[in-house]
This record gives sequence, structure tokens and C-alpha cells, in this order.
Amino acid sequence: MENKFVVNIIHRPELSPEYAEKALGGADGVRDESLDIFRFQQDTAHKYGLKTTIQITYASLFSDVIVDLAKQEHEQYGDEIGLSLLGLPCPEFKEKYKTEDFCIWMFDEATKREIIDDVFGKFYEKFGFYPESTSSYFLDAYTINYIKANYPSVKCAVATCWEEGPKAYHTCNNSWYTFMDGGPWNPWIPSKVNSHCPAADADDDAGIVAIPHLSRDLMACFDGNGSNFGTHPQNVLRGMIYYNEDGEYEYPYLYNLIDQYRHLAKYNDGYSYNMMFVGPGWLNRRGRWEAPYELLAKSYDDGMKYYGKLKAEGKLVDMTMSEFADYYRSIHTDYKRGECALWKDILYGSNKQYFWYADSALRTCFDFNQGGAMIDLRPYVARIPQTTGIGTDNVYDASYPYLIQINYRAGYFTHYAGAGTIKSCRVSARGQSADLCLCRTMAKYERVEGGVRLLVDPVTVTLGGLDVVIGTTITIPDGGGEVITERRILNDLGGESVTFEEYFTGGFGTTEYQADMSRLTLGVDEETMAFSYHGKKIVGENAARAFVTIPEVCTTVEMGGDNDEAEVEEGIAFSPVYRLAARKTITKGGVTTWLKLQKAN
Amino acid sequence: MAQATKGKLNFRCPSCFMRDIDIDMFFDEAKGEYYCLRCGFTGREEDVLRLNEAARYRYRAMKLRVVDFGEDNEPVRFAPHKGGEQ
Repeated sequence: MENKFVVNIIHRPELSPEYAEKALGGADGVRDESLDIFRFQQDTAHKYGLKTTIQITYASLFSDVIVDLAKQEHEQYGDEIGLSLLGLPCPEFKEKYKTEDFCIWMFDEATKREIIDDVFGKFYEKFGFYPESTSSYFLDAYTINYIKANYPSVKCAVATCWEEGPKAYHTCNNSWYTFMDGGPWNPWIPSKVNSHCPAADADDDAGIVAIPHLSRDLMACFDGNGSNFGTHPQNVLRGMIYYNEDGEYEYPYLYNLIDQYRHLAKYNDGYSYNMMFVGPGWLNRRGRWEAPYELLAKSYDDGMKYYGKLKAEGKLVDMTMSEFADYYRSIHTDYKRGECALWKDILYGSNKQYFWYADSALRTCFDFNQGGAMIDLRPYVARIPQTTGIGTDNVYDASYPYLIQINYRAGYFTHYAGAGTIKSCRVSARGQSADLCLCRTMAKYERVEGGVRLLVDPVTVTLGGLDVVIGTTITIPDGGGEVITERRILNDLGGESVTFEEYFTGGFGTTEYQADMSRLTLGVDEETMAFSYHGKKIVGENAARAFVTIPEVCTTVEMGGDNDEAEVEEGIAFSPVYRLAARKTITKGGVTTWLKLQKAN
Repeated sequence: MAQATKGKLNFRCPSCFMRDIDIDMFFDEAKGEYYCLRCGFTGREEDVLRLNEAARYRYRAMKLRVVDFGEDNEPVRFAPHKGGEQ
């Protein structure tokens, strides 16, 4: 199909934005300023020929000025009027609910229902119809299911901020409790069971199309603060990714970021996506992040101007959220197909390259600067039935657990002891060994029948003077929860033997800190052991599989292949991880291993 | 002596910014300097601006515009960004 770059531009009129109220030192003047900011955002989009989705907030439902303005802009520009669950705080809300909380996923279930009914009811009173779109920083499955059951017109929702979790918390001086790591970076149809997971089939389909809050840099945000590196012009200012030249501020990174999202059409059948959703607090007249108001406003104008330029050139299609939901469903008819992103560094000037992949069974990332090692893994196949909010086990932590996350739980590099979470390969010959993590390379993507394949550029390891040239192919079948890795010797070794050890070192959790692992079961074929922090191993010759079952995340991880040996090893208290390995010694040819994720009840 | 204030903009601590922490500094009017509540950084506005500039050392591609993302297994091709252009 022809490439199509779709953009959602979303504005929310907040009359008491959480940032501005604090920044302005009180509520005086906030209401008028916030209204002005909303008008500025709307006018700027329209100036460049772009339509928007207006996400009406609870507070603005009490403002006839905003309600009338939204109706007028809908008539004049075709803007959609949706309903946001952000922007709840206002005197009326605080008086009614007796709370300072403002995140819908953090309320108890009864209050979630009460707020939703209240907000949707008031919206209907003001507009005479129910909205087709809604939004929050995060929407848990319970909230989505309740909305869909009671307000079935809703078909699109802003439902996560990509990789906003411990990193954002730390950046905000450990005060910003938006823990929602582990979801897709681009739109998806969420599961009824856990909104992070793309639906596996029609029965699992929650009935909406979810979109992320902002389109974020898939490399910079994995390492650093998500709110510095996204299609939010003021985020780019927050990250200080701008400079002054001849009295003018410049931020080509913003345009490079938008362009890289456009480039992702290459890996997704011609479809690519972007969204911009800037809250009014980011455009307040007192300035923000060292940037005066004039720069905040200029950056917003420039963001819209670039989208407008692309639209004028026929390279962008602006849609409202509900229009996008219809379009997305029309091109995503196969629930098993994954979202792909071969992402290159556009900030640090390195040649780093990641491949991100998400389907209904797993989300993962490979780093080709580390030989194609797996650096992130989320077991969507487990459909972990997480609930969030007061009265649950996760009052604020809505992140989907990882099995591998190299920045939270180390990767290849550790401080002299222990092991970090990563999946890679160790190659041995002549009494020496090397890890492919230390081989910097790049890869090509290709779509194959029933899946995607990555062809990693060959690397050379030198072991006791013996050069071994190794080619790697990684295949991910659609929706199978499986990753198949083939390592091939590409040069003549003169009959010398080389041992390949494909290994998976994992943990589980949502933060940097490992919970107790005593409930894990490890095994090779039929032989099993309970995790006891003693560094015990089970090794099986010609074994079919090594595995670990982790009840806390409802997941079994298995590794096997054409290996000679399979091994499982428990960690120690200083290094709380588990390790699966498959080994094979060859003189030529290759080794194929598979990694499978399965739901464990 | 009166209490410290936020200053004219929310200047963040440049030392903390370099370790990925956004923490607004407060302004000590008597000394004419900003100071961080978390680390020991103190500095005048010109010091903060200079150090913010220094913090950008890691963004080597900050002034570059992507010309072409290239083949999958090739580096991105950049050119110097031309001011005022997109």
C-alpha cells in the first residue's frame, strides 16, 4: 500500500492545569490564562490547515465559553469533541470527591465508575451526544472495559505514556508517580484483560483503538527521561535539545524525530503514525524549563508548522481520534501482526540501532550495538491480570512487568560480580570465549511469511588467534510468543571446534529492584528445582528444553533448539536472576535456538 | 533574611540535570545566587546558562538535520541544519 503518515493533534482545555496552578503560585489568573493557551493551540493548528481533537476536561464542562468554542470549532474546522479523563482537578471536582488525586487509574473501582459516569453524563448534558474518544496518561483495562460497556460510542483513547515509569519518577526528584512502562509505542487494540497488551483475537478485543500519549524517541526514552524526547515541542526544550543561532532558537531534533516516525512506514506495511498532545501547563506565560513563554509558543507553532508543511506536500494525513480509530481498524485486520520499529540514533550522533517489536504475545527490543542482544522483554502472552488503584495491590504502579530490562537490571556490564538481564550468545574456542554483546553491528529488516526477520551484519570474534565470522538471523513469528535465533559460522575454521552458548538471563518486575524469587521453579526437561539463591544448576545432555516458571508474572520461559546441552541456573542473593542456556559445539554450519514465552497459571 | 524564591524562570540545577534529575533551584537574594536543595550546586544565572550549554555536549546531532535514514544497516545521513528551515 502507499505510505500513509497519520497524525493526531489533541488539545485539552484545562481550567486548573496541575502545572500552571503551581507555577503561577495560586489559582488567580489561571482560568483566563488556560483558556488563552487553549485558543492559541487551536488557532495554531488551524493556521496550518490541521484539524484537532478537543479533549474536553471535567473542569471545562463548567465553562460555557469552552463548550461554545468547541462546538464552533467542530462546525468550522471539523475538529472532534472528545472527553478527557485528564484535567479532573477543579474546585467542583475536589469538593465533590474530597480528594486531591487526579489520575483515573489510581482511584478505587467504585470511584472510577462514579467519576466516569459523572464526566460522561455532564458531557452529554452539554453537547447532547456521547464522545467517540477519551484520554488519560494511562487507562487500565478495568476503566476501558467500563467505559466501553456503558458508553459504546467510544472507539479511541489515549491510554499510555510510553516508557514512563521509574525513569520519569527519578527525573522528577522521585515525586511523579506515573508508572506505566511496558506498553506499545504506537497505536494498538488493547486486550480486555490488560490494556498494555495488544488483543490476541476478537474475543480479547477491548473495543477501542489505544494511542500513546506522544510519539517518543525509541532510543533516548529507553535510557533517559521520556519527557525530554518526544513529539511534544516543550519536551524537546525540557531536554535542552535546542540552540540559539543568530538570535533564533533552533531544534532540528524535533523534525528529525517526526521524520523517523515517518520512516517507520517501511516496517509496517506503509503505515506510520504521530501524535502531539500538549497540556496547557506547558505553555504558561511564566515560561518553563528555563524557556521564556515566547520560546514555548514558538516551539509549538514550529511543530504545527512542520506538520502543516508535510500535509501541504501530501506527506501527512491529519485525522481526528475517531477517524484514526476507523482507519487503524481498516488496516489492522490481523490481530497477530506485530508493530515494528528499526530505530536509529538521531540525538547522540552514534550508529546505535534498536529493533522494537510488539504483538499480542510479547514486546521486545534488540540492540545491534550489542551484537543484536535482547535488551527488553515483556511477556504479553501471560495477559497478567493487573488491577491498579486504591484497594488493589498496585495503587500507582501500572507498569507491565519485564523479564529483561537492561537499564533497570543491568545488561552485559555489571560491577565485578553477578549478572544482568539480557539475552545474548557466548562463543568459545581455543580456551577463550567472547560475548556477542561486545560486537557492534547493524541489521536489516525483512517481512517473511508469518513473521519478521532481522539479518544481522556479520561480526568477527577472535579467540586465541582464531577468527570466527558469525552471521545472526533473528525470526519472530507473528503472535507466537517465540524468538528464533540462528548463528552461522561464515568462514572456514579448518576443522576447529567452536562452542555457541545461547543464553537468557532474566528477572521479573517493574522497577530496578528484584522481588523475592523463592516461588520460581527451574528445570531441564523433567528435572526441576525450586529457586533457593544457592547458584544451583541443572544440566541436561541432548535435553529438549530449559525453563523457568515465574508465578508472579504468570509466565513460563523456555529455551531449546538443536543444542547438545541445555542448562538452567539460579542466581544468588547478590545477583537475583535466573539463567537459561543452550550449548552446541560445531566446526561449521550453524546453531538454531528458540525462546518461547507461555502463560503459566 | 527573607526566604528564598524561585527566581524569574524555573532554572533547574545543571549538576542534577546532567544526572537526569530535574530539580528547580531556589534563588538566594542576599547572595544573588541560585542553589540546589539536593546537591551542593550554587551559581549565578550566567553560571547556570553556561553549564546548561555544557550539558548539551552529549547531543552531537543536535544541530544536524536528517537527510536520509539510509538503508537499514547504514548510518543515518545528516547535514548541518539551516536556521529558519524545517
